[in-house]
Amino acid sequence: MRLFLAALTLVVTTTPALAQWIDRKTPNIPRTADGKPNLTAPAPRGADGKPDLNGVWNGEAPQARPEVAELQPWVMDLARKHQQDYYKARPAYLCRPSGPEAEKFGGWKRILQTPTAIAILNDDLTYRVIHMDGRTLEANPAPNWAGYSVGRWEGDTLVVDSNGFNDKTWASRYGVVHTEALRVTERYRRSDFGHLQYEVTYTDPKAYTKPWSFKSDMRLGADTEMLEAICEKSSDEWAGTLSDASGTGVTVSPEKLKGYVGVYRGIYSGKERTYEVSLSGNALIAKILGDDVEGGLGAAGLDDGAPRPLMALSDTVFEGLGLGYQFIVDDKGVATHMIVVHISGPYKYARVK
Amino acid sequence: MRLFLAALALLVATTPAGAQWVDRKTPDIPRKADGTPNLTAAAPRAPNGKPDFTGVWNSEPPASRPAAANLQPWVNDLVRQRQQEYFKTRPAYQCLPSGPEAEKFGGWKRILQTPTAIAILSDDLTYRVIHMDGRTLEANPAPNWMGYSVGRWEGDTLVVDSNGFNEKTWASRYGVSHTEALQVTERYRRSDLGHLQVEVTFTDPRVFVKPWSVSLEMELVADTEMLEAICEKSSDEWAGGLSDAANQAVSVPSDVLAKYVGVYSGLYQGNRRTVEVTLSGGELIATLVSDEALKGAAPPAVPRTLVPQSQTLFEGVGLGYQFIVDDKGVATAVVEIHVSGPYKYARQR
Repeated sequence: MRLFLAALTLVVTTTPALAQWIDRKTPNIPRTADGKPNLTAPAPRGADGKPDLNGVWNGEAPQARPEVAELQPWVMDLARKHQQDYYKARPAYLCRPSGPEAEKFGGWKRILQTPTAIAILNDDLTYRVIHMDGRTLEANPAPNWAGYSVGRWEGDTLVVDSNGFNDKTWASRYGVVHTEALRVTERYRRSDFGHLQYEVTYTDPKAYTKPWSFKSDMRLGADTEMLEAICEKSSDEWAGTLSDASGTGVTVSPEKLKGYVGVYRGIYSGKERTYEVSLSGNALIAKILGDDVEGGLGAAGLDDGAPRPLMALSDTVFEGLGLGYQFIVDDKGVATHMIVVHISGPYKYARVK
Repeated sequence: MRLFLAALALLVATTPAGAQWVDRKTPDIPRKADGTPNLTAAAPRAPNGKPDFTGVWNSEPPASRPAAANLQPWVNDLVRQRQQEYFKTRPAYQCLPSGPEAEKFGGWKRILQTPTAIAILSDDLTYRVIHMDGRTLEANPAPNWMGYSVGRWEGDTLVVDSNGFNEKTWASRYGVSHTEALQVTERYRRSDLGHLQVEVTFTDPRVFVKPWSVSLEMELVADTEMLEAICEKSSDEWAGGLSDAANQAVSVPSDVLAKYVGVYSGLYQGNRRTVEVTLSGGELIATLVSDEALKGAAPPAVPRTLVPQSQTLFEGVGLGYQFIVDDKGVATAVVEIHVSGPYKYARQR
């Protein structure tokens, strides 16, 4: 329960308020006849003829999960342990910089590009710098949170090599750690005015049996502004683990639980998501249907077989792997909606059968 | 004692390790005959003819203690209360962004300048953006940590106006709050390659009787790199106030304490700082005695009673004092432990 409340607190503090200036028109960009930004116009170039990546960008957090076989056994063991702890040691949940964590390559970014350096600014107020002045990577850099990055142009593709990461950050939100030996290679290509494709590869023989990578893309955030999303409440305050949760449940009668059994559908992070809620013994089980990769604090993690029973906190509020589940019921106690509370906010799913 | 330990933990976490690349030569800058950067060469200009501030800069934190007479009474009350709590709610000590806090205009910065935006990157891995695309300030912006900043050129001076600050940050590390009505105006002028003059004015009638200004000069840092200094241990873990420290005191005999009495002097954040240690009624008292150091002292600059935590380690109003002794137990130096780090002062007499 305390974990659940902590998650709700986080929701409140990290959801930025709407502001007037998000309607501000971005000056000097190509527009279509109806005045909208022309996202398929050619990509702009800087004075040096290189693609110009300046601007505000937004992309879905990539769902990067290395294969279990790609992880050294100790990394997999640690990932399981992190899952049991609700991933509460994730740097972002501790209000610490995310470093090279895969998911943080997505989200809101502002890029400032000069001939000698590129800065990538995140909405959590952290940033990284890519040196473009021709220097090479250090052989033995002092490890830090953001790493040490040098970039070069291969044609119109920006290739960034990074090392010098400390081992306090994760490579994936699924509890996948890395060592100080981590090397990250990124390739960015702005295919047109509105779209930026990228690929990130992680190489760390001490942690991974072979390099693993993911691809994603970002969209230009024209006519809007990036707003801050600051972590103020560290997960230090979260209490409990998976094994604790089973002991904290209250008892809800099987008749009431039956009223919640069904299929619920809604939008999560821009994509349709369908939940099936079933009854197994006297426990509700929530399962995501389809091939949607599960994300978020309550995800099954790298262990797809992990149990996800919902522990009752009241007649209508349940906790499952660190997520809150609230059922909206009609006057007969039959659920019409289910709200799933993630750290990123509440998501409402309508019952479809 | 726990506060003291917390301060030590912070110290460890925020002191960057030495790194190889701090010796890297900055390419394409004017140099003197001996190869060192020519910091008095002409300031560079961007293709649009405007001064170009791009680069790594550093300065001392500005002196930033507003006069009590310029603060509204409720702010003075809050300042006193925060002093009693060792300023532990200072945003930087809680690992939260410092926003417009005066001290944070100094320190290590990397500036990236493009025609439409300037980013100022700090070594605590936070940043701010100054919009240069001609937009004006919002009349009613959503308050946030770093505010909302627009800049314009007045000749070769960059003038930045900011509003939209939330009230979770401070205007000064000495516990001075601000409200959401705060407006900040900055003026930046790069007089030559190596020097950037900065003046910052805080206007917030609910806090300041009249606008309050600080100024500083930043120096270009060539041939090195800015290293991270990340806050990992929030002051949430600090325990106690001034009155609690006494409860954890150990007893040290007067003849041992007498061997620490003397005058100690050393550098504190670039300025000479002299501390006089006296013995009064069985207690050690530390007092800052140099005018230079007094400028940076917490208000009011009262003598600090040193509460023993061991034979040689003392706590004095949130600072740690470790005496270094010779084989006869006579102090040869004192190390003053701040959140920002340890400062060693040699005994003068």
